Amino acid sequence: MGERDGIPISLEELNKLKEIAERARRKVIRMLFYDQTIHVGSSLSSIEILTTLFYRYVKDGKDPINRDWFILSKGHAAPALYAIMSERGLVSDDDLWKIQDISGMLQGHPETFIPGVDMSTGSLGQGLSFGIGVAQGIKMRGGSGRVYVVMGDGEQDEGQIWEAMTHAVARKLDNLIAFVEINGFQLDDSTGSVKPKEFLPDVWRSVGWKVLNCDGHDFISLISTIDEAIKAKAPVVIFANTVRGKGFPVIENTKKQRSSPDDARKYLLNA
Amino acid sequence: MMQGNIYSMRDTFGKLLVEMGEKLKDIVVITADVGDSSRASYFKEKFPDRYFNVGISEQDMIDFAAGLSATGFKPVVVDFAMFLMRAWEQIRNAVARMNLDVKFVVTHSGYSDSGDGSSHQCLEDISLMRVLPNMKVIIPADPADIKRSFPVIMEELRGPLYYRVGREYSPSITDGLEYDFKLGKAYVLKEGDDVTIMGAGVVLWDALRAAEELEKKGISASVINLLSIKPIDEQTIEYYARKTGRIVTIEEHSIYGGIGSAVSEVVVKRYPVPMRFVGATGFGRSARSQRDLLDFYGINYKSIISSVMELLK
Repeated sequence: MGERDGIPISLEELNKLKEIAERARRKVIRMLFYDQTIHVGSSLSSIEILTTLFYRYVKDGKDPINRDWFILSKGHAAPALYAIMSERGLVSDDDLWKIQDISGMLQGHPETFIPGVDMSTGSLGQGLSFGIGVAQGIKMRGGSGRVYVVMGDGEQDEGQIWEAMTHAVARKLDNLIAFVEINGFQLDDSTGSVKPKEFLPDVWRSVGWKVLNCDGHDFISLISTIDEAIKAKAPVVIFANTVRGKGFPVIENTKKQRSSPDDARKYLLNA
Repeated sequence: MMQGNIYSMRDTFGKLLVEMGEKLKDIVVITADVGDSSRASYFKEKFPDRYFNVGISEQDMIDFAAGLSATGFKPVVVDFAMFLMRAWEQIRNAVARMNLDVKFVVTHSGYSDSGDGSSHQCLEDISLMRVLPNMKVIIPADPADIKRSFPVIMEELRGPLYYRVGREYSPSITDGLEYDFKLGKAYVLKEGDDVTIMGAGVVLWDALRAAEELEKKGISASVINLLSIKPIDEQTIEYYARKTGRIVTIEEHSIYGGIGSAVSEVVVKRYPVPMRFVGATGFGRSARSQRDLLDFYGINYKSIISSVMELLK
């Protein structure tokens, strides 16, 4: 731990996380060679969050109550999850290049038959409710597991989020940490032009969640925020500011999810 | 024959749920603020730590149940039939898709919530549930059928299952009959040679009544309690199609996509015979009793008799 300047991570570990994230980012972009319909923009916005969680927090194991659970509620960011899983050795690079192919294992959205996937998602607004069920189950059995749920900002339009938000507070689930990625875009347009989102942290706070904010691409910000979340005695939501298409200039900070194999090739050659 | 309103469907279920809770410690009961009306609350009195009222939040309820199931519990989701349909997509995309061990018990099905009008009457659920992958659909005929089937379902059947219970109305249909519930098995309530009447749920009382009336006209009818709508007993259906050459189905549900449809899918595949369908063809309206609504919409023994006469022409 880097105690000298209050940064709770060594330079070595930080560099390792950066390298993993960068490799995962390149893998997501490389997937464009093989399938141009994957959601690259949303995936790139989640890379650092997933890297941080899987390489520093999510405790593996077979025992469902003494391990951690990870739920990618914004299931369209599956390529990011798969890229991190390939880094962890759970799926092969060959699997990655067969994403969405009829002969491949990796589906367009996460499925529980894929190694390392805890919930089949793809229909927005459901991950938090499932996470509440798991967190409650762990509590009832006296387990030590924690549940991490990653959602998008557009996803917050779903009414079920409201149902789940109030439910987690009613159950006092302090083993539940939710992320809302604020990348400013949903499928059709910017989030601001579809439905206002600015009030969201106030709503979550008002109903009883501990609300934290961080830079979703900055490891130090992510780590210090998650460390604080773990200590909280209430369900915690972390609003993570991210950039859609982060690091891939042709779509960065636009509503575009996709790009051409040519753009991907240029990026991978030059970056 | 007496209709005999001795036990209510929901009371029988509620009491049995408590018995099962004593036996199986992993059972948790989840409801969306209808614990009292569905009798799920009997479970709360005995096992408050294993009972969850999630509030009026059906969608959240389904994924919450899915999450509990993922940690090894056996969730029984109890709700009014109609309002569970609000979360059909959650049932599809979480529970059925992941093949999780969540049991859905619905009360107030069909016309059983007679007074609350069309918004509360659920005539589409069998159809919506039987199209889901991994989902089983069971419809007990009366309290005796609940006692036969529900313990087996909780103790022996893994995976998603839809269990359709009414409210109070529960004429005696299977009392005194000796059979054990088995998934995918239909039961003969009466043997006859000229026509077979098939269905599930409380309307089987009308099937038996129709058979009695037909007997007076010299027509002998078999009556079959399908009970397990999915999987369905193809062998028994084929046997009676061959034996009697005519089938009338009855259901407290839309005739589109429900029990009649399920039977006809088997019949056209294995042994096509003429069929008639007695069931709902329109929306419900309010009434003082379920029986009034069944009669109003022609889901009764009179319609069965006229369907049989049509087939025999």
